[in-house]
Amino acid sequence: MKPILRLDKVCKRFGGVVAADDVTFSVLPGEVHGLIGPNGAGKSTLMNLISGIYTPDSGKIFLDEQDISDVPSHMRARMGIGRTFQTPRFLQRSSIEDNLLLGTDLANQFGYLKSYFGKKGSDFEKELKELMKFVDFTFDWEDDISALAYGQRKQLEIVRSMLSHPKVMLVDEPAAGLNNKEIDDVMALLNYAAKERGIGILLIEHSMDMIMNICEDIVVLSFGKVIGTGCPAEVSSNEAVIEAYLGRDVNA
Amino acid sequence: MEKRMKIKPSTLLIFLAAAIFVIVIPNTNEGYSMMIVNLGLIYAIATYGVSVMLGMGGQLSFATVSFMGVGAYITANLCSGRNGINMNTALALVIALLASALLAFGAGLILFRLKGTYFTFATIGLVQVSWSFYLSYKPLFGGPDGISNISTLNLFGFSPKNYNDWFYILAAFVLVIAFLVERVRRSQLGRSLAAIRDNEIAAQTLGINVYMTKVVAFTIAGVLAAVAGSLYAMHSQFVSSDMFTYERATTYIIMAMLGGVNNTAGIFVGSVLVTMLPEWLRFMQQYLQLIYGIGVILLMVFMPMGLAGLASGFAKSLKRKLYSKKKVTAGKEGPKQ
Amino acid sequence: MNINTIVSLSVNGIAMGMIYALMAMGLILLIRAIGVMNFAQGDLLMFGAFVTCALTVDLKLPLWIMIPLALISFAVIGVIFMFTVYWPLKDATYPTATVISTMGAAMALKEIATLIWGSLPRSMPPLMKNPKTGKAAVLNLFGIKLQWQFVLTIIVGAVLIWLVFVLFEKLYAGRMMQAAAQDKYAAELLGIPTILTTAATYIIVVIMVSTGGYMIAPIFMVSNTLGSLQLRAFAGVVIGGLGNIKGAIIGSLIIGLVESFSTIQFSQYKDAVVFIVLIAMLLVRPQGLFGEKVADKA
Repeated sequence: MKPILRLDKVCKRFGGVVAADDVTFSVLPGEVHGLIGPNGAGKSTLMNLISGIYTPDSGKIFLDEQDISDVPSHMRARMGIGRTFQTPRFLQRSSIEDNLLLGTDLANQFGYLKSYFGKKGSDFEKELKELMKFVDFTFDWEDDISALAYGQRKQLEIVRSMLSHPKVMLVDEPAAGLNNKEIDDVMALLNYAAKERGIGILLIEHSMDMIMNICEDIVVLSFGKVIGTGCPAEVSSNEAVIEAYLGRDVNA
Repeated sequence: MEKRMKIKPSTLLIFLAAAIFVIVIPNTNEGYSMMIVNLGLIYAIATYGVSVMLGMGGQLSFATVSFMGVGAYITANLCSGRNGINMNTALALVIALLASALLAFGAGLILFRLKGTYFTFATIGLVQVSWSFYLSYKPLFGGPDGISNISTLNLFGFSPKNYNDWFYILAAFVLVIAFLVERVRRSQLGRSLAAIRDNEIAAQTLGINVYMTKVVAFTIAGVLAAVAGSLYAMHSQFVSSDMFTYERATTYIIMAMLGGVNNTAGIFVGSVLVTMLPEWLRFMQQYLQLIYGIGVILLMVFMPMGLAGLASGFAKSLKRKLYSKKKVTAGKEGPKQ
Repeated sequence: MNINTIVSLSVNGIAMGMIYALMAMGLILLIRAIGVMNFAQGDLLMFGAFVTCALTVDLKLPLWIMIPLALISFAVIGVIFMFTVYWPLKDATYPTATVISTMGAAMALKEIATLIWGSLPRSMPPLMKNPKTGKAAVLNLFGIKLQWQFVLTIIVGAVLIWLVFVLFEKLYAGRMMQAAAQDKYAAELLGIPTILTTAATYIIVVIMVSTGGYMIAPIFMVSNTLGSLQLRAFAGVVIGGLGNIKGAIIGSLIIGLVESFSTIQFSQYKDAVVFIVLIAMLLVRPQGLFGEKVADKA
């Protein structure tokens, strides 16, 4: 199968700090690909490189075998790179509905004029209903987003990203701050995204339970370098990985 | 997405208030006091531009007066018989609208190379440039004396004979523009602007072209200001550079903030209130500016979302008291409550 | 244009540039300390001019009493300004609110000045007078005649800017203030009270700006329209580069010079020329003269 997302020798420095050092790996469609590593290993930087917030110093990034290294951030989103943030980023003073509609807007890609004159695109309500099966809470969608609990917002951010029909979804620590039930819901949602929708998911997560549970493939980063790849079993028996973790942050 | 034709009580109340306003005001005012109300309506149109920029997009721009000037002076040149041209005023309004759209788009492309505070500074620069030309360049702007003898509006043969006639025309303009602006808020553009206001990075990852979206908002604001300027020129039949100073520009921002910068009804209330205030407080004219200034500070401290913020806070607590809150699954029957 | 004109236009331009630089530097100190634009900067300058004018003309105080009294009143104005315009809003959820409140403060200051000192422009005697004629003293430099007031403005402005620069960039107290501004939480943990560092910043800024008002008062008349000078300072800040003190000073001097030389050809469009230079500059180098392109924080 052709990879949906491929990084080829990507490097990025901030001053003297090497945040990404010759990073090469690829994500297949329909696969949940784990991205793990101790704190400060450069995981979030990598996400920012992929979604175009930073440009790599060298190396290339391919989406669907198309070089997107020089494509601006918003165009990458339109080409199919969705993402969520460590702390969910919503419009604080807007309703839940408006917040979710941003996802559908991205899927539609009408431009402002057509949208203004009422052109209808993908069916927001139907799709939302489908996705909301996986999360176990309800809301009044005229409420402000602040009416929701933190864990609910994190789940909703994944839902919003899925509403935009991405090819690749970058998911940054979805389990942090969630209770066990919510973590299960998130896993079900991510599994659905990968298996039923064929989205390639790149997942940063500190919860090893979750990583071991749903990832087919894992990349381990330490100080910006890839120190191990493979399936969960391979990674967890990899000497370099164990050292990196035990040497620094057992918790991670 | 399914269109929901549910009318909320607050919307109903706003329409009721608007209807009362349109019926009562022209029957209780005439002449000078009617003119002041009319000015309030004209300013409201320009303030809707501020609402699009500042309220929706979080971009503080002073350029409102520059584009009001564009609208006003285009109308003045085309409809006053100077330079031998005396065009139909409705046509002049359309020309002003198109010209300002082009100019605002171009200016937006340049100014939005800057972000945040530095963008704001640059708009002040634009205001100073446009104002000094409005003040000094006689061939187009009449110099310090301004331009007078501008024809009044002529809409398909109907021409207002006094300020009361004007009131109905302006009220119609405001209503249509308020409707259009409210639609912007509810369309993809409004949501994109809100995303930019809250976090530009997150907005980009949602596929929003931050730069162009800001430019579009700036163009809309410019066009609204120019329409206001054009109507002002026809209404007052006189234009001079006093209308387009930096100080005037702050007034539009304050109007928006008083009413509620992101609230369509609030913008109207704010504009009319700020315009009427000097008339009501005439007896203490000496202290007016002082009260005004201190009032602005107090407003920002105690109700930064303006009167509309106050009203919606009140409505929410009322709603909470009336109904025990019931949460409903989204996607079933659409929104609830 | 002979050398005489060039030199005297330059001196005028640099003197005005110094005034703008005082305001611009104050703006950047405030932006760094509290992250907020001050749209009342020019009206603080205007107020300073009125205060010194009252002390000199109405109370006829000699210079050695006038200066300490003026400095004390500037400091008091700074503290009052901070506690009325900024402090109640420091936790505002809507960041623009703080900016708008400074616009309100600008109106209020203008009106307070008018209520106290009337709406007619007042004249202020120059610092150095010709003992014989009683008119403004003229400095004769190799046959080039320069107004002493302009020369003094340059000197006072440069000294003041240098002092504040040393305070903030070199001395421990100043660095601590900046550190406190950049990380309020850490500062509180270290026991640096933000209220003191903020108040100190406001006092320094108001003293700088008001001194500018004092220097400029004899050149212009003292009136409540002096506040509009702040727009040039804004331009200086943008030309210099984002948040850069050196840049803001040099940008302000450039603005002063451009303004001064533009009077030869198009004095009516002095304002326009200044701001067209600004806008042209933005086209070529949007990050300003000394600004660097900084990547957004993700």
